[in-house]
Amino acid sequence: MSEDSKAPDRKAPDWKEEWRPLAEAVGRDFGDPTVVFGADAVEPGTIRRYLEPLEIGCPIHYDADAARAAGYPDIVAPYTATMVYSVAPMWRPGEPTVYESAERDAQLARSPINNEDMALGPKTTGFFATDISMEFLRPLTVGERVGRRGQRLISCTPKQTSMGRGAFMTWESELVTDTGEVVARVRTGTYAYNPVGPEEEQP
Amino acid sequence: MTHLASRQRSFSDVVVGEELPAVEFPLTVYRFVVAAGGNRDFNSIHHNTAYAQATGAPEMYASTFLLMGMWERLVRDYIGPAGTIRSIRDFRMRKFNLAGRTVQVRGRVRDARPDGDRGIVTLEVESVVDGQVTVGPGTVEVTLPAAGAAG
Repeated sequence: MSEDSKAPDRKAPDWKEEWRPLAEAVGRDFGDPTVVFGADAVEPGTIRRYLEPLEIGCPIHYDADAARAAGYPDIVAPYTATMVYSVAPMWRPGEPTVYESAERDAQLARSPINNEDMALGPKTTGFFATDISMEFLRPLTVGERVGRRGQRLISCTPKQTSMGRGAFMTWESELVTDTGEVVARVRTGTYAYNPVGPEEEQP
Repeated sequence: MTHLASRQRSFSDVVVGEELPAVEFPLTVYRFVVAAGGNRDFNSIHHNTAYAQATGAPEMYASTFLLMGMWERLVRDYIGPAGTIRSIRDFRMRKFNLAGRTVQVRGRVRDARPDGDRGIVTLEVESVVDGQVTVGPGTVEVTLPAAGAAG
């Protein structure tokens, strides 16, 4: 076998090896021990904005009387918005700016929606969710706040795809209100990767 | 305007195997921007073609929150105000839902069983673009009042 024909095999283990520390940490909870609450309390205005692109017209989401008639104490948020209310703010008063560049496609200096807080594994530039399963115990009501508790790594599988080289991961967490009540449990699959050009793709 | 969701369905109305009225969502850049403002997923892959392409995608594509909300729209239209959602499972995003396409969300009743004064119904749901399943098929478990609830 020539050196050339061995080259792809020699390269492949290197990038996968970078994921080993994370793969070996399956079962570990990477989450902050304290609950990280979302930027905003549940309020009619933010519910309305969530519903707008979906054109959901059910009155329990905008009419308090209709919500009470359905058995709720007040207007309730859509179930799928539960996670939205756990998203931390992009910026808080007193923090340095997150807009550090005028370059057209510059990203925020910090963002709560990415994978930059991974404590192990290689630095990646690409990231997206692949699958979600959610169990809802009840919907959120106007006035409540919700945060995420725990971030347990359930699986980590390095894999090269048409998007790049990275790893598929599954994470598990709970969504809790400001009174400590668990309202939902979430299992999220993600793919974190570095894009590779056509010349770098495996044969 | 009459919303489907304003009419209350009861468990006794449910027929296993019946299809839910499908909902279509044309995916425009405009809709993506409105959705990002509502769900706060400002990742540029969901509103910036050049950025999305730099990450390996062919075009900007719908966010997870927007796609999950589409399933809730389909389900809420079916279960009405007194219905509850217990779980969404196997919400697997198989293909990108790209700007310029139309997502059709459709579902059918897979199972129904009584549970005290309510009924538990399992719906099978999927998102389809140009005849190809892009999300799911997954299941949404809901509850409905047994009968006679006011809408």
